[in-house]
Amino acid sequence: MPQHDIRTAAQSREAGLAKISALSWRAGAAAVAVAGLLTVALGQHSSARAVPPEHRTQGSIVIPAQPPGQATGTGQVTSGAS
Amino acid sequence: MFGTTAVLLVTRPSAISQARSIADRLLAEIDLACSRFRPDSELSRLNAAGGEPTQVSAVFADLLAVALRAARLTGGDVDPTCGRALTGLGYDRDFADVRAAGDAPPRLTGPVGPVPGWTRVRLDRGGRRVRLEHGAQLDLGATAKARAADKCAEQIAARIDCGVLVSLGGDVAVAGQPPQDGWPIRITDDHAAPEWAPGQTVTITSGGLATSSTTVRTWTLGGRLVHHIIDPATGEPARSCWRTVSVAAGTCTDANTASTAAIVRGAAALDWLHATGLPARLVRHDGTVETTAGWPYDDPGDAA
Repeated sequence: MPQHDIRTAAQSREAGLAKISALSWRAGAAAVAVAGLLTVALGQHSSARAVPPEHRTQGSIVIPAQPPGQATGTGQVTSGAS
Repeated sequence: MFGTTAVLLVTRPSAISQARSIADRLLAEIDLACSRFRPDSELSRLNAAGGEPTQVSAVFADLLAVALRAARLTGGDVDPTCGRALTGLGYDRDFADVRAAGDAPPRLTGPVGPVPGWTRVRLDRGGRRVRLEHGAQLDLGATAKARAADKCAEQIAARIDCGVLVSLGGDVAVAGQPPQDGWPIRITDDHAAPEWAPGQTVTITSGGLATSSTTVRTWTLGGRLVHHIIDPATGEPARSCWRTVSVAAGTCTDANTASTAAIVRGAAALDWLHATGLPARLVRHDGTVETTAGWPYDDPGDAA
């Protein structure tokens, strides 16, 4: 290959790599910006629905010491809706 | 109180007057704290505060903490911010007056939508200050009644040293040494039904038992039948496959929390109750019954 063609090819390659690099930087910057926006949006959503610290207590519904027993006849009281 | 009836039983008959005095005092305190229909109650004052921080009593702070705990343990299915939804459905006065008023046009002009949610309630329990965000309006009816039954039973048993049963509108709490065979309780749709009403009789010796139903506290609104158990996700009366759910738990408050949540959850409640180990009796609208976690055998001939 003539020397002139080799130089031209090298310059073209450098120019192409520079363009790709610039595009990559732009894409990366855009991704960072989108990620930032998503973080803010989700953060706002999260804070709106987050459980406040005073509600973050442990515990569970307590099961009875023993289940209700079988009985016949009527009761002394009724448990129904009011 | 709570627009319902109360029953007090003690194993030492001579102690009934003293027990009654204790219960009357406690119930008066709780009514003044959390009645939605008394303009002088703390709850009415807080609901009218427009989101400003409000100082509350220790009694109110306790009742609100209990309601928030119920919300947390049920993933928000039992939510204290149903006040506006209930008012919009016409339940803005004592229930006897709501029913006496007969059919009424809807009070809200637009869709109700989900309730603001329990996380909108900011309780500083130490400082006893409460703030309601985003227009939240409280109704503590369900958990406050059960908590009142628990507190009455605990305090009476502690002071008089006897077995005691307190039932507030069918939310039953027991404490102290029970009768030898336990406290016999008739499980029915309606707490005001006679003791021989269709249902099932069981006994408990500790803790509490509560029943929630869509069939009793009902009224008509714009031609449709509505009830008081609100689905927080819609702000409307829950459309449940269960007409009545009874649950036994370590306290009446927990029993009521679970029975109310079960109505709201519908079919999914069965697996949830099995998983939590809570003994429960669930009645479908056609009268068929499911039970969970050691609830005694329910003779189909006895059920309704």
